[in-house]
Amino acid sequence: MKQGDTIEIRWHGRGGQGAVTSADLTAMSAIHEGKFAQAFPSFGPERRGAPVLAFNRISAEHPIRVRSGVVKPDIVVVLDPGLVTLINVVDGLKPGGCLIVNSTRSIEDLQGEFSGDWTLAVVDASSIARELLRVNIVNTTMLGAMIKTAGAIKMDSLTEPLEEKFGARAKANLEACHKAFDTTVIGKITVGGQKKVRTFAVAKQPTWSELLVGCAVTDVGSTKRFCTGDWKSQHPVWDDKKCIKCGICSLFCPEFCINQQKDGYFRSNDFYCKGCGICAQECWTQAIKMVEEA
Amino acid sequence: MTAKRIGIESSLAIAEAVRLANVDVIAAYPITPQTHIVEGLAEMVANGHLDAEYIPVESEHSAMSSCLGSSAVGARTFTATASQGLILMHEVLLVAASLHLPIVMVVTNRALSGPLNIWGDHSDTMITRDSGWIQIFVENGQQAFDQVLCAFRIAEHQDVLLPTIINVDGFHISHVIEPMYFLDQEAVDGFLPPYKHPHALDPDKPVTMGCFAMPNLYTESRKALDTSLRESKKVILETWKKFGEMTGRYYKEVETYKAEAAETLLITMGSYSENAMEAIDKMQSEGRSVGLVRIRLWRPFPYMAFLEAVSGAKNIVVLDRAMSLGGPPPVCSEIRSALYPQEKRPQVVSVVGGLGGRDISPDDFEKLIDIGLGRIKIGDTSETIMFGVRE
Amino acid sequence: METLSIYAPKLVTNKEYIASGHRACSGCGEVLAVRYVCKALGRNTIISNATGCMEIISTPLPETAWEVPWIHTLFENASAVASGIESGLKSLKRKHGYTKEVKVVAMGGDGATADIGLQSLSGAMERGHDFIYVCYDNEAYMNTGIQRSSETPFGASTTTAPSGKNSLGQHTQKKNMAAIAAAHNIAYVATSCSSYPFDIMSKVEKAMKVKGPSYIHILSVCPTGWRCASNLTIKLGRLAVETGIFPMYEIENGKYTLNIDLPKLRPVEDYLKLQGRFRHLDKDITAEIQEKVFDEYNKVKRLAAGNKAK
Repeated sequence: MKQGDTIEIRWHGRGGQGAVTSADLTAMSAIHEGKFAQAFPSFGPERRGAPVLAFNRISAEHPIRVRSGVVKPDIVVVLDPGLVTLINVVDGLKPGGCLIVNSTRSIEDLQGEFSGDWTLAVVDASSIARELLRVNIVNTTMLGAMIKTAGAIKMDSLTEPLEEKFGARAKANLEACHKAFDTTVIGKITVGGQKKVRTFAVAKQPTWSELLVGCAVTDVGSTKRFCTGDWKSQHPVWDDKKCIKCGICSLFCPEFCINQQKDGYFRSNDFYCKGCGICAQECWTQAIKMVEEA
Repeated sequence: MTAKRIGIESSLAIAEAVRLANVDVIAAYPITPQTHIVEGLAEMVANGHLDAEYIPVESEHSAMSSCLGSSAVGARTFTATASQGLILMHEVLLVAASLHLPIVMVVTNRALSGPLNIWGDHSDTMITRDSGWIQIFVENGQQAFDQVLCAFRIAEHQDVLLPTIINVDGFHISHVIEPMYFLDQEAVDGFLPPYKHPHALDPDKPVTMGCFAMPNLYTESRKALDTSLRESKKVILETWKKFGEMTGRYYKEVETYKAEAAETLLITMGSYSENAMEAIDKMQSEGRSVGLVRIRLWRPFPYMAFLEAVSGAKNIVVLDRAMSLGGPPPVCSEIRSALYPQEKRPQVVSVVGGLGGRDISPDDFEKLIDIGLGRIKIGDTSETIMFGVRE
Repeated sequence: METLSIYAPKLVTNKEYIASGHRACSGCGEVLAVRYVCKALGRNTIISNATGCMEIISTPLPETAWEVPWIHTLFENASAVASGIESGLKSLKRKHGYTKEVKVVAMGGDGATADIGLQSLSGAMERGHDFIYVCYDNEAYMNTGIQRSSETPFGASTTTAPSGKNSLGQHTQKKNMAAIAAAHNIAYVATSCSSYPFDIMSKVEKAMKVKGPSYIHILSVCPTGWRCASNLTIKLGRLAVETGIFPMYEIENGKYTLNIDLPKLRPVEDYLKLQGRFRHLDKDITAEIQEKVFDEYNKVKRLAAGNKAK
């Protein structure tokens, strides 16, 4: 049994966005086609809003034995537009592989983000989901874009798993898939075609002998180094004309990241803000609006 | 130094050692056969003979949890338990080791349910074998007294900071009145430096204890703990040396009795070792080439000292007072794995006996050795012998 | 009282004892409650934290969000660890010249408090240790994925008591932890809610003055587990109080005081309809819940009134 012809997929989403469901449906569809497939999440303490991963392996020929994480994917699907600039989504993507992104940005614009021998596909899945599903959850919509670009599964084989999972809502989800299939724009990424090189921090982990006795941590408050601002899909904007400088936004901020400036007005710290929207909801004078991330 | 010779029940001698160690906190829940130790301590606290907080907790789980708390603020901490109590504590024991909290605990070894049995064997402590605690076995009341004092010094040493169990056989040691030598307060104070934890919970130096570790650090945390436990042996040996110089009572990780040049060696741990000595004396007087090896330090396991002790033997009979249901018993598997890489290996036969308080008298030990040798003679050492079981 | 203090937010200390960068869900009410509790406690505090959301979101090795000494060991033993801390400090003071005045605090979620940790909490309260126990009640095992606890309210759908053809979800009534705590004859018991920062802080301050055990039960809104929008956290907590579903009261030496005594309760519907966990409930069940809420609320009211009459 050779394991060489397995297709590996990595899904990038945020906790709560349903990347795991995308992977589940893909595997179930492949199995429905008589293929062998796996779907699995990255098991971790990630919470709603945090960047998360889900994975697939599909093989037409043989049972799949590998149970490790996917590190050299053939296909990468990015559910959240913001993740493209936050995480190295093409990490390990095989030459000739496909990168499929939900974004309102043009394909030309996105091409400038990457350097490699890959296919790039772009679809505005958020608009499709909002229109057809009345909610910005793109996990099923992006399946349409994936099928069109990479063809890892057939559109027809999605119907049954979708019905099983979504019942009455399956029809609208399938419609969203089809619309994504029809509107996905496919192009190429080239080696050296990158306009803006981004660097992504890799945290250095201590060795066993660097750990303090009993794994104690004396660097208190050190989570401050950790950017939770990556989690948001919307951010608060203040209208200072309406602001009465009461500070209720600051008091009710679960990230403790809304601070009073020298001029007395309040602002959130983008590095931590998870975009929950409590500040906007609770502001007595409606001085705060939540605005979608670009 | 002057030492007073007195007759006292071992449990009370243990309590006296704890008092001399001037512990700050005792958290304990009563269980047979540990009760006399904690009753003794409660009485000392009530009478003002020991200035300590005695927390009469509502379970052993809470006993060990309270010990975590008090040890983490830098208070010298003691508890005692047995059997079901030890296994109810079990999940807390692992945390005590991983947080490097040097709690000292006496386990009056007792069988495990079911069926319920309050008498002695080593089943309870064998289940905690892999918990990261230092584990030391004693054979009589004097050793119990001595090792409790040594345990504080070992556990709290800045190079160790690991919790330590002193295994004292239930009833056979705990409830026996014997002659003993105590130490005076001055001697103990000189022997035991004050306890300090480098990262104690302190508002002036805030620390976080008990982070969770993801796959990228859990392995490192376990390696760090395992290394500390293995390296604690150095401090254990140093402590015993110092104690020996002070009292004339020297301890070793593996003790032998008339083992030199013996063809056959019996391996024991705990109180039955003294019964076995009687048997060895008798058999040697009859011209038999038998000797005794007693493992005192169970964790970290003293591989080198053990191999040295058995290097001349042809046959080894290992007595386990615990079972590993469905597999080889714990001491024997340890010994077999220690011997396996050796070029010249003795034959090893495994015997389980002394379960749930079943006696193994000196006469029985003679039979036990002979049964073991019989198996070796016919070349059938694959199965464990259950000594004295009614067929 | 909350709405009167329009500029009061600025009176709260800026000092945080739990840092940003924690991994709580977007819109987490529990971490807000922790924040207010810590502000009131101040620096001279040692916290013993049970396993649960607050532990996981704050301490991924080698980082920590905490700025006060903090220890996590296990799920069911936060009170026992606190007992040891308190006794250890007592002994250090008496014997080793320790002079700091430190408040010992144990905290845990509803599972750690009302289910698996109830025995150790009861033991610690009965023994009279000088400590504050804070329960952050988000009404299910949220850390493991919304499984029911004994604090899950009647009618809520959770992953281990889901609604279905033959089930309305949770079919038992919420366990009354405040009454259980009060039954230990401790000097101070209070309930509060993550939407009422000043109420939380004043109650913690009161608890700090008590010698011996005190217990504060804080309803902590969980948008993830309650299946509601993350911006509704504060609103929902307020609705829990304004509908009478979660009355805020104190029991001081056995005497009840209702802190927010509303002349008229809002219908429970206002609270239930915003949450996915109650979406399956029909009119009859909602009416049943309404009736039960009146009963329970009036019980507290009577206890408080009886107290006044004395």
